[in-house]
Amino acid sequence: MIATSIKWTRHNLFGKPLDVVLSLLVIPGVLWLAYTITDWAFASAKWDIVVQSLRVLMIGVFPADQAWRAWTASAIIGAILGAGLGCVFCFKPHHGLVLLLVPVLLLIVDGGLENALPATGIIASTILGWALTSYVPLTRKVLPAAAFTGFIVIVAVMAPPGVGLWGGLLLSVLLTLVTSVLSLPIGILLAFGRQSRLSSLRIICTWYIEVMRSVPLILVVYWIWILMPVLEPQWGLADVARGMIGFTIFYSAYVAEYVRSGLQAVPRAQTEAARSLGMSEFDINRSIVLPQALRVVVAPLVGNVLDIFNSAPLVFIIGLTDFLRAGQMILANPQYGDRTFEVLSFLLVTYFVIGSMITYAARKLEDHMATGTR
Amino acid sequence: MNAIVEMKSMNKFYGTHHVLKDIDLAVTRGEVMVILGASGSGKSTLIRCVNGLEMYQHGRLVVDGFEMPVEADRRLGGERELAQIRKGVGMVFQQFGLFPHKTVLDNITIAPMRVRKKSREEAEATAMKLLDRVGLRAHANKYPGQLSGGQQQRVAIARSLAMEPHLMLFDEPTSALDPEMVGEVLDVMRELASSGMTMMVVTHEMGFAREVADRVVYIDQGSILEIGKPDEFFDNPKNDRARSFLARVLKH
Ligand SMILES: Nc1ncnc2c1ncn2[C@@H]1O[C@H](COP(=O)(O)OP(=O)(O)OP(=O)(O)O)[C@@H](O)[C@H]1O
Ligand SMILES: [Mg+2]
Repeated sequence: MIATSIKWTRHNLFGKPLDVVLSLLVIPGVLWLAYTITDWAFASAKWDIVVQSLRVLMIGVFPADQAWRAWTASAIIGAILGAGLGCVFCFKPHHGLVLLLVPVLLLIVDGGLENALPATGIIASTILGWALTSYVPLTRKVLPAAAFTGFIVIVAVMAPPGVGLWGGLLLSVLLTLVTSVLSLPIGILLAFGRQSRLSSLRIICTWYIEVMRSVPLILVVYWIWILMPVLEPQWGLADVARGMIGFTIFYSAYVAEYVRSGLQAVPRAQTEAARSLGMSEFDINRSIVLPQALRVVVAPLVGNVLDIFNSAPLVFIIGLTDFLRAGQMILANPQYGDRTFEVLSFLLVTYFVIGSMITYAARKLEDHMATGTR
Repeated sequence: MNAIVEMKSMNKFYGTHHVLKDIDLAVTRGEVMVILGASGSGKSTLIRCVNGLEMYQHGRLVVDGFEMPVEADRRLGGERELAQIRKGVGMVFQQFGLFPHKTVLDNITIAPMRVRKKSREEAEATAMKLLDRVGLRAHANKYPGQLSGGQQQRVAIARSLAMEPHLMLFDEPTSALDPEMVGEVLDVMRELASSGMTMMVVTHEMGFAREVADRVVYIDQGSILEIGKPDEFFDNPKNDRARSFLARVLKH
């Protein structure tokens, strides 16, 4: 073990003169950084602020006595995401144990049940969803319908105290989910439209895609936000809904481009074979071309989801309080002025963990798709 | 009328490139017609016109009682005849063209279910019979990528047959295969021919052409130069170009 790691070190870090120089510069730097951070994190940082503001970070300014609504919604989201994961990546008991560490940790740090209880509920429902689709393949068939129902329930549960109160990490996740789910079909239609034989449709779709791809997201979101009440005053859509519409309008164009690259990767021979069987163009596109195209672009599409999640903070422009903004709000309290690093570190780590989980799930999805073709 | 395919001075262009020149050809029901010619002579284009994968510009093409619209009409939406024709005409390609994301069984059942609106049970029962016929019953639930080239091509034949075609088109069905697999595909085609299927076959397998064909057509640079019984064509070609073509291919 030690012998091999020495060998590995010598080969990889000190193999060539340039490697030696780089290693001599970088290794001490990294060690110093790691020491400083650990020292700060365990000796001088005061993490109580994160624990005390956890509720605001997670669900925004939801009134405390209504918090159960947001926690219920979070648990439903957990179940949906878990169930989705279970379709491509089989649940193992040790995954459950790792996840359950979160509420245990909260219990230890916090000492009370205020945060640990909801956390337990969310984690438990995630595990439940994950295990269900892993072990009972039949449930995968009803997942889209179940997820849709779940979403309706979320809205129904969260709406009474006021849609304007939605916030925190929950808002970021909701925004990401809604945008990802809606932009996929719209993007697919745009991609096909861009290849259509009807030139009017083709031109409209091309323009839409090109315009959206050449302007900043934040501007699109802001424009939609100010335009919707002007165009449709009687709708009275909430800021959250308008934000989601703006995100969907913007990201559909990107999805369309990814899907189009996938469509181009499907060999002509596939279409010709299907045509020679007498299949209609609609059937060919739906059952032969699209599934093969999507398979090719799973990775960029998931990258797009990550992109949406990381862009969610931009909803501050229309007055919404997402995860990042919630952190800023806490820091705006003069009483906590000296805890900037603690809060920002928590945000950074959480974004990093969620981002890596999405990337990891994407890799599993790709593996899953690859075995299907073989 | 006994002809299933009838071409009357059919012409096809790729831009300004004149690929098929005044083709006159009739295929009778039950006939096996083999189409020979050098690379680039227009063999593929000819049979791809029959099921409308390629469009022709002038002349007339009648397939199975339906008039195939010329390019100008198809651009205006003459797709109804096209759909009718394609239902009755099967095609087997050089590169198999199986759907890689579907199992062998699903490859075979998708068109009968979608186009002929058969129930899944009925389509699957037919598919299993056809897989029996091409000797691949045991592979029904595999994906195409798990099969050898010869097996894939036999599945492709079964897939076409599932639509109960009146006419089968073959475009070099064995050219992409390893030599040891050519035989198994030709055996299936032989059996199909003896069952009375009308077939138009582009191939470089001269032995097969001679044995199975009722008539041989020789194409050169988009024109039919010779057409006749295989024995006459192979033993005593009248056309000079056909003679030198045969000398070239039979040498190997
Ligand atoms: N899509 C296309 N666009 C332009 N020209 C084409 C196209 N497809 C084929 N051609 C031309 O048409 C002519 C006939 O091609 P075709 O594929 O029918 O020949 P072939 O006899 O099948 O040859 P091979 O034995 O190589 O398959 C060739 O000169 C070819 O270059
Ligand atoms: Mg060819």
